[in-house]
Amino acid sequence: METFDYVARILPALLEGTKITLVVFFATLLLAIPLGLPLALGSDCRWRPLRWFCRGYVALFRGTPLMLQLFFIYYMLPIYFNILLPELTAAVITFVLNYAAYLSEIYRGGIGSIERGQYEAATCLGLTSFQTMFGVIIPQTVKRVLPAVTNETITLVKDTALVSAIGVADLMKNSRSAVNRDGSTMAFLVAAIIYLLLNVVLTKFSYYLEERFSRHEAKETRLERRTLWH
Amino acid sequence: MALTDRPIIEIKNVTKRFGSLTALDDVSLSVHRGETVAIIGPSGSGKSTLLRSINNLEQISSGEIVIDGQTLAATPHDRAEYVSEKEIRQICGEIGMIFQHFNLFPHMTCLRNITYAPIKVKKQPRAQAEAEARRLLELVGLSDKADAYPSQLSGGQKQRVAIARGLAMNPAVMLFDEPTSALDPEITGEVLAVMKRLAEAQMTMLVVTHEMGFAREVADRVIFMADGRIMEQGDPQQIFENPQSERLQNFLRSIIRS
Repeated sequence: METFDYVARILPALLEGTKITLVVFFATLLLAIPLGLPLALGSDCRWRPLRWFCRGYVALFRGTPLMLQLFFIYYMLPIYFNILLPELTAAVITFVLNYAAYLSEIYRGGIGSIERGQYEAATCLGLTSFQTMFGVIIPQTVKRVLPAVTNETITLVKDTALVSAIGVADLMKNSRSAVNRDGSTMAFLVAAIIYLLLNVVLTKFSYYLEERFSRHEAKETRLERRTLWH
Repeated sequence: MALTDRPIIEIKNVTKRFGSLTALDDVSLSVHRGETVAIIGPSGSGKSTLLRSINNLEQISSGEIVIDGQTLAATPHDRAEYVSEKEIRQICGEIGMIFQHFNLFPHMTCLRNITYAPIKVKKQPRAQAEAEARRLLELVGLSDKADAYPSQLSGGQKQRVAIARGLAMNPAVMLFDEPTSALDPEITGEVLAVMKRLAEAQMTMLVVTHEMGFAREVADRVIFMADGRIMEQGDPQQIFENPQSERLQNFLRSIIRS
């Protein structure tokens, strides 16, 4: 009963932290998911300056630690460029820039996996390359990249814990405060359960999306694919 | 020469090289309105490359391609030069293409597959495009499949939808690139029957095919290609019953034997 009372006491602070975690999560997702697309298209653009810029951008953000990027934007922008951002804003900006880079590579792979015949059929029907990309290729890509994007979003839920390093009061930071204050690790356990729950919900939702984007496949095929193993 | 006598496809001295390989070697060919031309020959003979050059899926190395009086590519100097991208799209809009692997858009219903380009490219009102699409589906015998997705169709049905999709753009010429090669033998007939009906309706058709029965029965003219060249051409009877070149004689023998 004592444990229960203790958890009930720390829970409000942890839920407050969860709110911030969710803010970082949704803001990143909402902005990075669309931003990854122009990056993906730019990375395969025939016009070299754009291609080099996009590929360089992706190399930079995938090739350095996320935490370092966070520190750079929060601590170094004020020093070198005199730009001081609130912690939460700095955190979201860093996450968006970083996740857009990862997502763009997933999109690029997805777009590249669409058969050449689809482009040829579209061209022969007189569609412009823009109409082909947005009407024919990308809608087919969505379903293919969904599992990989889900993977990224699950990583994102956990990566948000990094924002505590620049003092954002998220679930991670608030649970650590409780642990330091009370000398009990119970808060970590509760935090772990909350992270886990968030990801369970997320996974369920992504299965639902996969199903939805497979509407055009025959029902039998869909069932078959879901249960390839017996 | 009267306007109607002008060939709808004119290919002059076309050569196409892939690196050191010469896929098309100085090919010339004219196709007239309403003609059905079958192109036969062993694999690697350049049949598909020739077809794909006509609607710019392959770019030729030298020579000239003129579609309905409009130049697609010409060779004023030593290399083929193409007209602007916009003109290419406009010229190739006159040409429909049917692929071996159908290439239907899997995320769209059959109806949407057919109406997509007319609505987007020709700016047809949706109702008009859909009415036309239903008429075409009926023509290919699939009026009950309007709302089905391609994955729910058999290969033969997919190809018939692809033909309806091509026809929806109202092309002056239809190109068929081995339209029945990916189908089970027992269902090639349903696709060939649709093509035969098109030929009878005076659609101009260029068909790369291994179906000698179709070439013999439906084509007005048969072209035999080998090594990137047109080796022999003539009416079906002449090609199949009185082949002149040794290559064609060997080819026909090998087909009959198999």
